[in-house]
Amino acid sequence: MNSLTDNSLMLRVKAGDMDKMGLLFERHHRALFGFFYHMTHQKNTSEDLVQNVFYRMLKYRQTFTGEGEFRTWMYHLARNVLHDSVKQNKTLHHYDVNEMADHLAGGALADEGFEKQQDAEQLHKAMETLSSEHREVLVLSRFQELKYDEIANALNITEGTVKVRVHRALGELKKMFVKNESRR
Amino acid sequence: MKAADNDMNCENIKGQLTDWLNHNLTTTDRSEVEKHLIHCLHCQEEFAASRQVWEAMGQMKVPEPSQEMRVQFHAMLDTFKASEKAGHRFSFENLLGKIKSFALPQWSIQLAFSLLLVALGWVIGSKTSRPKIEASTYEQQIDMLAGQVQEMKSTMMLSLIENPSATERLRAVGYTSEITDADERVIEALFATLNNDPNVNVRLVTLEALTQFAKNPAVREGLVKSLAIQDSPMVQVALADVMVKMQEKGSVKALQSLLRKEDLNDLVKNKIEQSIKDLS
Repeated sequence: MNSLTDNSLMLRVKAGDMDKMGLLFERHHRALFGFFYHMTHQKNTSEDLVQNVFYRMLKYRQTFTGEGEFRTWMYHLARNVLHDSVKQNKTLHHYDVNEMADHLAGGALADEGFEKQQDAEQLHKAMETLSSEHREVLVLSRFQELKYDEIANALNITEGTVKVRVHRALGELKKMFVKNESRR
Repeated sequence: MKAADNDMNCENIKGQLTDWLNHNLTTTDRSEVEKHLIHCLHCQEEFAASRQVWEAMGQMKVPEPSQEMRVQFHAMLDTFKASEKAGHRFSFENLLGKIKSFALPQWSIQLAFSLLLVALGWVIGSKTSRPKIEASTYEQQIDMLAGQVQEMKSTMMLSLIENPSATERLRAVGYTSEITDADERVIEALFATLNNDPNVNVRLVTLEALTQFAKNPAVREGLVKSLAIQDSPMVQVALADVMVKMQEKGSVKALQSLLRKEDLNDLVKNKIEQSIKDLS
């Protein structure tokens, strides 16, 4: 479908054709937003972080070699952006009161999917309690649909470690989810 | 022994359930897990629970990012491009790149190419310069064209110089700088402007234009005469300067008579006295 691959677009950006970044933005800003949203549960923060990633892509475009997948490089930068933001203002584990209210309102309004919405609500809370190491592999694997080798490259860890982390993260989540379910 | 085998297998399978869910298993591993699940109730339960969580995760909603994001992105991109452009000239990396590209063997190709171009130029040059008669007609044509352009400029200047707008008149005077040898009509028009234009700026620019033709004795004479006519202190000072520059001794008399004018500005008086000193 896409006549130009992400890699070739990014290589054009690297060569000085900055406008090609616009196409990459169109292709990936939603996915990136999703990643940050799952990691922080804050809409505004996530939008800022997405901008930050695109800025870094421009600034550090020389570090893109085109050997690996563009997506992997993008999540590598995204993770660094998130890491820096956490260091600065503790973005993680911080629930915005208004957004929490939105969640709850959305949950109560949905009739048919009420139970599923409730599940999602429970999961949100459960995921909050995961360590960021576990949360990121889970988000990348489940929501961003990255393969293990892609995650490994993005996080600079081995594929085996990714596998173990995903497995453990899901295990923890399962425990927590079941606990919350029975409490309900 | 068999039970132990089965336990081992269960551990293995459990480790692979997550991989099954996120499609990270090969088809053989996948069918192996599925085969095991058919027989093992314990693993089935485990799998069902994992699957429930996995699917519930799929239900988690992500809000739509706002439209402003796109606007902000493009603003950021524009700013970035602008800052890159500004920093471009002084970038150390660029300089390094240039030095590198110069030092790399690539230069030999470039050298070969430029030699080829020179040779080609020589061949073309020797071929085309042979018919000398043709070349001279070209020259004639070019001279004719240049003459026509000059003529056109003079005509434009003459028609513009009577324009009621001072800006247009300034433009007209400006054209004279492009006219290499002005004919009488142009000189005449310039003097008419110098002596009669109501605008001081136009007169000053005209004076400047006229000094270009100072080699022409008629122009020098006209300028000296103009000394008596000018009433603006600025033009008087400028004229005095021109006289000194041209070393026009014949202007001393005119300058002296200017000194006798009653309403002469003090500054102009000093200037003219100085000019007379310089000239005599």
